[in-house]
Amino acid sequence: MAKNSTTRRRDFVGTSLTALCGGALALNLLLILGLLLLIGVYGAAYFWQRDIVELTRVDGSRVLGEIHDRESIPPTPDAPEPGERIKVRVGNRDLTANDFQWLSLSSVVDRGTPGDAVVLERLEWGNFYGRMVELRHGDELLASGGDEVWRRFGPLHREKVRQRDAVRKLERGPIGDVNFEIEKLRLETRRLELARLPEAELARRQEQIDGRMAARQAEYEELATRLFAARDELMAETLVMETADGRRKEIAVGAIVRALRPNDMGPLAKSGLYLSRIWEFVADDPRESNTEGGIFPAIFGTVMMVFLMSFAVVPLGVLAALYLREYAKQGPLVRMVRIAVNNLAGVPSIVFGVFGLGFFVYTIGGSIDRLFYPEALPTPTFGTGGILWGALTLALLTVPVVIVATEEGLAAVPGIVRAGSLALGATKWETTWKVVVPAAAPGILTGLILAMARAAGEVAPLMIVGMVKLAPALPIDHHAPFVHLERKFMHLGFHIYDVGFQSPNVDASKPLVFATALLLIVVVTVMNLVAIALRNRLRRRYAGSAV
Amino acid sequence: MAVADFPDQDPSAAAPRSAPAKRLSISTARRRLAADHTARWLVTAGGLAIIAGILGILFFILAEVLPMIRSARVAVERTLAVDRPVRAVLVDEHQTHAAVLGPGGIVRVLRLDDGATVVEESLTAELAELDAAAAAVPAAEETAAAPGFELLDARVPPGGSAVAASTSDGRVLTQVIEWRVRFDEEQRRIVSPHLRMPAVLALDPERRPLGAFAAQATADGQTSAAAQLADGTVVVAKVAVTENAFTGEIERSESRLSFPAVPTLTRLLIDADQTALFGGSESGELFWWLFDRGDNAEPESVSAGTAAVTALTLLVGDRSLVVGQSDGSLSVWFPVRQAAVTADEDERFLLTRIRDFPRHGAPIVDLAPSQRNRTFLATDADGELGLYFSTSERVLWRGASPVAGATTAIISPKSDGAFLGTANELAILAIDNPHPEISWRALFGKIWFEGYERPEHAWQSTGGTDDFEAKLSLTPLVVGTLKGTLYSLLLAIPLGVLGAMFASQFLHPKLLGLIKPTVEIMASLPSVVLGFLAGLWLAPLLERTFPALLLAFVALPLSVWLAGIGWSRLPLGFRQRYPAGAEVGLYLVVVAAAIALCGLLSAPFERLAFGGSFPAWLVQTTGLPYDQRNAVVVGLAMGFAVIPIIFAISEDAFSNVPKSLIAGSLALGANRWQTVTRVVLPTASPGIFSAVMIGFGRAIGETMIVLMATGNTPIMQLNAFNGFRTLSANIAVEIPEAPHGGTLYRTLFLAALLLFVLTFVVNTVAELVRQRLRRKYAQL
Repeated sequence: MAKNSTTRRRDFVGTSLTALCGGALALNLLLILGLLLLIGVYGAAYFWQRDIVELTRVDGSRVLGEIHDRESIPPTPDAPEPGERIKVRVGNRDLTANDFQWLSLSSVVDRGTPGDAVVLERLEWGNFYGRMVELRHGDELLASGGDEVWRRFGPLHREKVRQRDAVRKLERGPIGDVNFEIEKLRLETRRLELARLPEAELARRQEQIDGRMAARQAEYEELATRLFAARDELMAETLVMETADGRRKEIAVGAIVRALRPNDMGPLAKSGLYLSRIWEFVADDPRESNTEGGIFPAIFGTVMMVFLMSFAVVPLGVLAALYLREYAKQGPLVRMVRIAVNNLAGVPSIVFGVFGLGFFVYTIGGSIDRLFYPEALPTPTFGTGGILWGALTLALLTVPVVIVATEEGLAAVPGIVRAGSLALGATKWETTWKVVVPAAAPGILTGLILAMARAAGEVAPLMIVGMVKLAPALPIDHHAPFVHLERKFMHLGFHIYDVGFQSPNVDASKPLVFATALLLIVVVTVMNLVAIALRNRLRRRYAGSAV
Repeated sequence: MAVADFPDQDPSAAAPRSAPAKRLSISTARRRLAADHTARWLVTAGGLAIIAGILGILFFILAEVLPMIRSARVAVERTLAVDRPVRAVLVDEHQTHAAVLGPGGIVRVLRLDDGATVVEESLTAELAELDAAAAAVPAAEETAAAPGFELLDARVPPGGSAVAASTSDGRVLTQVIEWRVRFDEEQRRIVSPHLRMPAVLALDPERRPLGAFAAQATADGQTSAAAQLADGTVVVAKVAVTENAFTGEIERSESRLSFPAVPTLTRLLIDADQTALFGGSESGELFWWLFDRGDNAEPESVSAGTAAVTALTLLVGDRSLVVGQSDGSLSVWFPVRQAAVTADEDERFLLTRIRDFPRHGAPIVDLAPSQRNRTFLATDADGELGLYFSTSERVLWRGASPVAGATTAIISPKSDGAFLGTANELAILAIDNPHPEISWRALFGKIWFEGYERPEHAWQSTGGTDDFEAKLSLTPLVVGTLKGTLYSLLLAIPLGVLGAMFASQFLHPKLLGLIKPTVEIMASLPSVVLGFLAGLWLAPLLERTFPALLLAFVALPLSVWLAGIGWSRLPLGFRQRYPAGAEVGLYLVVVAAAIALCGLLSAPFERLAFGGSFPAWLVQTTGLPYDQRNAVVVGLAMGFAVIPIIFAISEDAFSNVPKSLIAGSLALGANRWQTVTRVVLPTASPGIFSAVMIGFGRAIGETMIVLMATGNTPIMQLNAFNGFRTLSANIAVEIPEAPHGGTLYRTLFLAALLLFVLTFVVNTVAELVRQRLRRKYAQL
């Protein structure tokens, strides 16, 4: 068909603008893919051990470390030639104060990857980069010279790791128990004071408590002596290290997490190390105010909070949805309620946090404290943020999601199924409970998973009602009643905020935050994908049937 | 219909299991019916309770906010009979004792429980003793002028730790009363009064009766007094009594200042630091002397109208001067820094009338400040009382004095009560005044805060000192919230709506089925991750390569356009091998390449256009600094969070446009683009509107992104290169530190209420629009 010029211009404009719309879509996709890729790459890189390079500068000084970044230097009037600089992780925070150092590439004259360069992961002060010089036990020299020390170090370190585990077990187990008992006795004393008993009775009971207290104290003393002895033994051997610029540093072998010669490691060894680091990350406690070590307590807190929330949100959401869809008379009022509930999902999460603080923490928690825990006051038990309040606040936040999804599930159950059940003589409740609800189960499950995914990623309200930077104890332990709902907890999302923005050494902890973010995103995304798949199945199943 | 494809648990199997297969007895049927009734009842009650509970959130928050607007309550607790006129009163912090200065200079400390006198001392007697001792030393040549002097006037200086009186022989007496608190073995509090040695300051060497006078005394021995003498000059005397810590020797140093004559003064006032003197005259002028200007310095003066100044006081913090006049007017003044005219001029402060309170019907006779906050109590000649708060300009309470003829009034140290003295009794009032700082104007209007050069909107909830003036204006936070929302919508609306338009109109359903879950994943990304990336990755990156962003604005549309034209020129046979809309894949590559190119060209472009550094260029040309965490960063990050919402809802609106409309348009000869813009877009526009509204609602309440990607400074500028603080971030930052039930706590609840109502209204409107649209589609 011959086109005249108007048509051609029309088509040209149409094509151009359509292209722009397509570009917008492409940019959206690029943004999400880029973000996932960015976090994936940075997060995964956190666990990979890079080679250690030794750089010699123009002035002869040497630097040992890992290259982390490279960027161009913008030219200045003094140095019009654009150059490049590299960011080197030099570690040795106890000697140099800074973990990272920027070096101009033009000042580096030589670069090598010496095989005897060692990186130590330490319990304190971060990584140490240097060479092994001596291994000593007090004044006694056990080994000297890089390779000799390296050979002797391996078995010794394994022994020390065992000792360290023993010390930790002692601290957590018996000593923790005794402390717990002592605290309980202290509270009992206080309760006794509040109890207004006859004088003689009071004295008798007080004596009992004092007796038990004395026994516990003695037990504690004994354990403490054992602990100190074990610690001394743990710290007995020291490793003398030499930095690239010749300074020496003595480090207790017991305070070393790992010693590596990355330049000597093959790809297989590095991969093994990679996996063991991932395991450490998910299974260990944090070190150095959360900037190193693992994030196990945060994972545990997040999971437990989400499960607690699920227990609250499913019955609430399903009951409300059943009422709205099956029992209430459909009319303008129910429609308005439905809109209101729906819109509640759009109310900012921080508002729920404020409500949780005012209602759960201060009003309900405060009352519980006055009624059941007067002996601990003014230290609040439930009258402060805790995992229970966090879970309930998030349950409120996510209940609209569950209601909406459940309603969708209920609505998708064909009317003919209900009619059939009723026709067979089942009552309305029997029909609802045994026919409709099971049929709507995927909808309920979808809602629950969406709610859990939202709860796992939500931070703002939890900052107000119970999350902390570092919880002293997990909300579940071996002390009765085993589940401590009043305790504060750690959370992956808050971990990201806290380590990324509140820690003194953001540069060094940023990779860890990327790893945490990766974990969080994986969890949330998997949950969402499952929910989407479930929902699509649900929709397909009833696609043909009239409602 | 297809019961056959019903799930695994089909009803035919479920029904027999539920109904016992045995014999159907009447009782079973009844039990089932009862169960049915109970269930109906339970579900209804439970469902309603849950819904009511959820909606109850709003009411709970409201209930936490409402106490803020309640006005103060003032009630007479009781009166104590005193057998003489009360000239001045002092009370201890716990309201256990009151010290009363009566005529004749008798200081009597009463226990408030039972009205018993605990201590009684005569100031005049002590003074006479001192005089006698002084007279005895230099022989009897010129014996003490007149032993029979009397007290003229009494005052309680602001600060509430002393009483002061002027005598008919030109002297001022001050009596500091300390309240010593200890606890007995049963942990009961015992307060005992301790009267320090009175200080005597001779102001008029010629021993004439003093005119207006003022005094200030502190427990550490610093005493000042000022008075106008008969010749109109104003003199100040200062006495410092210090005890040497080693020798126990008591040193007394005295200094005097005198200032030129001024018109007859009616009131004088010395501030708590004893560095300045304020005065008010018969003709309504205010004077202000600074002691460090030295002897004979001229006062600053300013007119407060023509009515005589009848009462003066300073509010806590010593900056705000409250002036009461004979025409019943009440005003607050404080020194305001004046812009220096020349560079070398000293900065100058001018006493400025800041605000006025509603006029009383009779001359103000006394003003009493609170020691806790900027509340003050005014008493007028008709016996009417008024309780006011300076900062919020709020009339907290006004009413007739419960006792007739009150001559003096004070507010108790904890600001929970007031004491009025009359000719024969002491009235104790209870004041319940929990949130005086709050008024409409304090929350949303401009307020002239102490130390500011002009009225401003400001948020600063806590300060370093006890006398800090809380600045609780929500306006900067609202502006910050809108600013963040604006920048994020600037990104999200075009990308979300245009993307959705393409996805729904030009994309093969198979591709759409891939893209929709991707966008849902985008929506579910935790905002803390976005905030972290924005704050720690994007912000530093953007600071280095901001020109790349500018380039991208041109490069992205251009490259996509070229790619689109190129694609359309490809042979049709080639294009048809791919599903409709597959060119998005091409665009993806092109956009990625364009972004990479922008990144590469950023540095050369920056050298060329901005002289090497964009932030430096920005400061030079516009004077605005470039903050690393700024509105652009937030706009990008929060835009990212809002795009999927706008996308999903717009896509829904586009997709649901009836196919018959599109087919009709195409059949009439319009091309795809014309159909989309002239038929689909107008039909779907209400849906797009509601998409934008819901995106707006999301952006308004977003907390973590703004918390992490802005500097959280509560400033009011729409400039893209600095930070801001939003309502939500403000709540997150401040509520952990806000005491339960306090004004800050309730103000933050108000901020939450604002967010709640705003998002709820916006979402409801959007939802209603959407439902109407759905009905419209159904009709088409």
